[in-house]
Amino acid sequence: MDSNDSQVVVSETADKSFLRELIEANVTRRLIPKGLSWFGCMGGLSLVAFIIQLSTGIFLMFYFIPNIRESLASIQHVSHSVPYGWLIQRIHAIGPHIMVGMVFSHMLRILFKGIYRHPREMHWVSGACLLILTLLMYYTGSLLTAHNVNGHHPIHLTRIYATHVAGIPLSMALFMGIHFFMVRKTGIFESL
Amino acid sequence: MKDYTKNKSPEMLEPFFPNELFRHIIVSCFLVVVELIAIIIFPLPFKLTSKPDSIPWFLLPLYKLNKLIHSEVVFISLVVVCALLFVSWPYLIPDGKGEHHNLWQRPIPFAIVVITIIFVITVCILNL
Repeated sequence: MDSNDSQVVVSETADKSFLRELIEANVTRRLIPKGLSWFGCMGGLSLVAFIIQLSTGIFLMFYFIPNIRESLASIQHVSHSVPYGWLIQRIHAIGPHIMVGMVFSHMLRILFKGIYRHPREMHWVSGACLLILTLLMYYTGSLLTAHNVNGHHPIHLTRIYATHVAGIPLSMALFMGIHFFMVRKTGIFESL
Repeated sequence: MKDYTKNKSPEMLEPFFPNELFRHIIVSCFLVVVELIAIIIFPLPFKLTSKPDSIPWFLLPLYKLNKLIHSEVVFISLVVVCALLFVSWPYLIPDGKGEHHNLWQRPIPFAIVVITIIFVITVCILNL
């Protein structure tokens, strides 16, 4: 084994050691306060609901045509011709109701337990922005399927589609990053 | 990263893995089951958004408020102001250390929240 090979081995060992330490510190050896409420999982459930919406939305993006003439046909094509398309479409349509329910219950718990107080104000600010963006997401999504009857302009439909699939999700990712960073930094609820 | 072990005895702590992670996995499975049941029970809501019966429950207060306020400018301004107040809530109701945490132990914020909830429910019930 020459010196270059030994350097590669040392580098790989250091990487593995760093990864192991990272996993141990954040997952396997991490300790948290005992007896956390089951209602404390509402934030996590909101994230799960968002991931379901994201994955089903990506699937639907492959088929949806943001054109005033072809959009309804593309929706029907997914529903009737694509294998399990109807299931994905229904999950994407029903999901927001469950997601908003989870976000609301998470917010009410935070509000009534006063967990938004100093030093956790940014948890509330980022979470409130996420709730508003979730409602906007639903609104733009409902316009995409309702435009056929309302007779929207084609350019408007393209803009609504771009906002729905790119603008709002990217903003949500930003606020989620802030939310999770602050939760990691200042922690979940415990006596201040 | 927040260290939860500070000023706590080992009996007051539990491991994140698998205890907390398992809790989240259980409730996530429950969420998926609820979603699949909802798919079976409820029809596909691809309808006109301008029809009152297809407005989702969480947008009903806004829809009714829009019906109540005829001016679009006033309505949008009101919604924006409400959204800003909602986002900046922790800074509007400042409190020092040593005060109670729970909302029902603090009269003024509790009154604001209850009045708002009653107002939202009343607006939803109104037959406009």
